[in-house]
Amino acid sequence: MRRCQALLGTFVEISTDQDDSQAINEAFSAIKQVQDLMSFHDPSSELNVINQTVHLEPVAIHSWTAEVLKIAQEIYEQSNGLFNCGIGHRLVAAGLLPCHMDLSIYQMSGIEDIRFIDPQIIISSKPLCLDLGGIAKGFAVDKAVESLISRGIESACVNAGGDLRVFGPIPMSIQIRNPSRHTQLIDIGSLQNGAIATSSLYFSKRDQLQSHIINPLARDESEVHLHFSDSYSVVAKECVYADALTKVLALSQATDHPCLNYFSAQAIRITT
Amino acid sequence: MMSTPIIAQAKIYVSIEQAQKILFQNQSLTKAPIIITDELQEKMRLASSIRYPFRGDRIWKTSDGSWLIIDEVIGKHEMITYAVALNSNGSILGIEILEYVESYGYEVAEVDWRKQFVGKTAKDPIKLNQDIQNIGGATLSCKHITDGVKRVTSLYDLSLKTIR
Repeated sequence: MRRCQALLGTFVEISTDQDDSQAINEAFSAIKQVQDLMSFHDPSSELNVINQTVHLEPVAIHSWTAEVLKIAQEIYEQSNGLFNCGIGHRLVAAGLLPCHMDLSIYQMSGIEDIRFIDPQIIISSKPLCLDLGGIAKGFAVDKAVESLISRGIESACVNAGGDLRVFGPIPMSIQIRNPSRHTQLIDIGSLQNGAIATSSLYFSKRDQLQSHIINPLARDESEVHLHFSDSYSVVAKECVYADALTKVLALSQATDHPCLNYFSAQAIRITT
Repeated sequence: MMSTPIIAQAKIYVSIEQAQKILFQNQSLTKAPIIITDELQEKMRLASSIRYPFRGDRIWKTSDGSWLIIDEVIGKHEMITYAVALNSNGSILGIEILEYVESYGYEVAEVDWRKQFVGKTAKDPIKLNQDIQNIGGATLSCKHITDGVKRVTSLYDLSLKTIR
């Protein structure tokens, strides 16, 4: 059975040979919970509470949010700052995200200033505007997979609009979109118990949107939005790493970036 | 080129009957089509900014006053059929995608996407993950669905809630 719901701003597909609607419902609920906690669009999400108050007082957060922030900090460190979720204000300025707070009065800091004073309590010395758009989708896929496994599903694929993870004894064939013509697919082989995520700008270009890949190390405005025409995919064991590391790959353009090796991930670059 | 490219195609997820089961389990549904007058059509257009007409013949009702509505969103690049389940007070119980056709009206005209289903019989069920692809790539936006759901909830406010 293959099902699809609109979540995380995209189409999330769950497919499995087992006909267990309840297990799939619960997996979608896990994704919905990630959306409720970490959506930038939803003004009442935990993420927006963090953005509005974390520089003023300690904020108690859900264990899943804590997990994502820890992983984001780890990748920040291993990538020497190339991956940084503290770029929400850049995406707001480009009209890619809605504005929930006055961003002009602050000099925004990044994920590096988040400090855990307890496993689920954080504080920041400086104001920041986190956007988890580059990592939460992968995390949500992992949570859906965990939910399916806990319900006894033996084999499935969870695909959140292009970021996907498969598990089970059977390898599954994976196609990725050709960046030169995104309606065409390129068969990249099969994947077993692993995840793949992709960053590319063909949909942004088609819809005449500014690039959503932000360079956190930009020295001036002209360097903020990264423009490229290739497609960058990362294969990793878990989708949260695959998702986040595509940003490191797209920004560094280095398929042998040490950060990928550190997280046992592999790069696939498709040139146009 | 690493291999022969395939045209990204349409996906059939669930049937109307399956969507009914997913959204209402074993509750029985009765077909409750309504006539969409020009005036109602115009009000729904204003509420949702969707221009093409809404079809009133795919509406079902449960005995406790909940609703199931099937609708489509037709964008420049896609056509999506989806089901919305509404509580008797109009709140959304769930949304399920039934069918997704990519590059609607463009690639579809070139290559009939249904071809990948040709030759399949009941004995040869469509094996997911083998015959139909797991497609990776840049994130596809679902924002048209948001407009569609707005249209369905406007139908409730303008018409369904007054039906007993």
